[in-house]
Amino acid sequence: MPTAPPKGATGDLTTFNVFHGFPEALVRGMRSSFLTDADYHHLTQCETVDDVRLNLSESDYSSALADMAVMTPASLQKAAIEKLVTEFKYLRSQAVEPLSTFLDFVTYEYMIENVMLLLKGALSGRDINELIAQCHPLGMFKESTMRSIPTFENSAKGYADLYQTVLVDTPVGPYFAMFLQESAEHRGDSRNVLEEVEIEIIKSSLIKYWLEDFAQFVEKLGGDTASIMGDLLKVRADTNAINITLNSFGTPLNEPAMRASDRKRLYPAVGHLYPVGSTMLVDVANEEELGRVLELFPQYKAIWNIHASGQGDISIDDAFYERDVQTLELAFESQFHFAVFYAYVKLKEQEIRNLVWISECILQQQKDEISKFVPVFSFHSPWREKKRS
Amino acid sequence: MSEVPPTRMNQQIFKGKLKAAQGGHKLLKKKADALKVKFRDYAKMIAETKSNMSTDASAAYFSLTQAEYAAGNFKQKLAADGSMTARVRVGAGVDNVAGVKLPVFTKYETGAAADNQSLGLVGGGKKIQQVREKFTVLLDMLLKLASLQTSFMTLDEALKVTNRRVNALENVTIPRIEGVLGYIGRELDELEREDFTRLKLVQGKKEVAEKELEKLKKEGKGPATGKENEEDITAQFDANDDADVVF
Repeated sequence: MPTAPPKGATGDLTTFNVFHGFPEALVRGMRSSFLTDADYHHLTQCETVDDVRLNLSESDYSSALADMAVMTPASLQKAAIEKLVTEFKYLRSQAVEPLSTFLDFVTYEYMIENVMLLLKGALSGRDINELIAQCHPLGMFKESTMRSIPTFENSAKGYADLYQTVLVDTPVGPYFAMFLQESAEHRGDSRNVLEEVEIEIIKSSLIKYWLEDFAQFVEKLGGDTASIMGDLLKVRADTNAINITLNSFGTPLNEPAMRASDRKRLYPAVGHLYPVGSTMLVDVANEEELGRVLELFPQYKAIWNIHASGQGDISIDDAFYERDVQTLELAFESQFHFAVFYAYVKLKEQEIRNLVWISECILQQQKDEISKFVPVFSFHSPWREKKRS
Repeated sequence: MSEVPPTRMNQQIFKGKLKAAQGGHKLLKKKADALKVKFRDYAKMIAETKSNMSTDASAAYFSLTQAEYAAGNFKQKLAADGSMTARVRVGAGVDNVAGVKLPVFTKYETGAAADNQSLGLVGGGKKIQQVREKFTVLLDMLLKLASLQTSFMTLDEALKVTNRRVNALENVTIPRIEGVLGYIGRELDELEREDFTRLKLVQGKKEVAEKELEKLKKEGKGPATGKENEEDITAQFDANDDADVVF
């Protein structure tokens, strides 16, 4: 009797290393590439952006920055992202199912952004090469696909063609389909929805579908991946829901009629807030009411209190970043699951954000603000400090 | 100045001219002073605005950095979302300072709805809002500075022109008119003196003649006054001397 191929859950300790041990080892090796507290300390002491470069030349970024003519925060960001993408692609090439699909899922987020950028850019008649240069390298499609997106005419039929011939083949096609279908149900006419709806709202909707899809996929994988990655995604979904609500105040999205029809649709159907919290969020009209809803959820109460205390020092975005780094670090530390890859990408992104922040502060001579970033794997993180004392 | 004939009429004309020039000079001087005061005010205001602006500008650009930290690179989304209609336009008005027209730039809202309101919806929206506000402040400052700066230039130009006029009146026109007046006065005096000497001369001659007469009278001879006339002039007249006039 032939042995059936091992079909255990990805969290299965017996088979995990057989299939995914190598990529996991790779990503754990990359743990050492994160900038240390000492690195950050040196960086914040720099006087010029070239000093930053000098300091980075001893870090993992040395080769990425080697052939850069002039160092600017923007070029630093570009080089750092490229480095991240190279590493990610290497991981991706080592992965087998279902890890490969998981890694693809990670990139969909960037794909959505790129498609939106191309579509909207094409609508306003911008140069395609310029647009492609602006796309996030992690979310690139085939060159031909990218180039064909803006060639469709700006009409209802054009969009139908675009969807049927190009987008349907891309991994993010189904999300577009869902979005168009839902819009059709709501408005009755979906044809020029791309033209009418603001780019951020379409993007938020697509991200929502992506989150739901991703969560489902992770759930199917089971094991530690389901619990750890599932939690990360839930937190992400909640963050989005809270942010959308908070940022909709003062925009048309907060009008009573729009709240139920448009804003509600942006809340992901996953997360700790779903379904009770997001139902309550629908009726929230101002910050006070939002605070009252979040009061019921201990994990967001703390973050909300930082925002509500009104001390301009730490905004809600910073608070979310800090919380994200904490959870992602935790995800990175445990073994036998996929969330470590997602955590790696996100933590690296935070590091790049930090680098850009530091170099921008140096460039604009805002030394007081320079330490307002969230270091990754820092021994001085609040959650580690607390434990030690 | 020598072309002017030194007559009394011309003297009157030039006196009028001098008066006008002095009046104009006084007025222009006043205007120049007023402009100078304004000019100094503007210079002070420009210095103030500029120093305020440097902090505002760095605050604005730093808020942009903060927003990018929070919301990622959102600038490209702005550029990609092509429906860019100006929400704010600049109108030009005119302010009048001592007869000098100064441009004044004012901001007015076009009433277009704010684009991209949902920018940063999934994070950083508040920061982007801050960027909006900071740059609106910066724009106001920039407009103010632009008004001041153009006014400053215009004032500078006007001040120069006025000063040149004042100086020209003071140092060229008025001295010239005064010169002409002096010349006319001198010429007229000269004429008067000439007349005077002539009169004197005539009087002197008359006196000499009278003295002579007196002398003769005293000597008894005197000039044969009327004696020659006493002869009958018709006595020598002969009607036949002339031929008859035949018509």
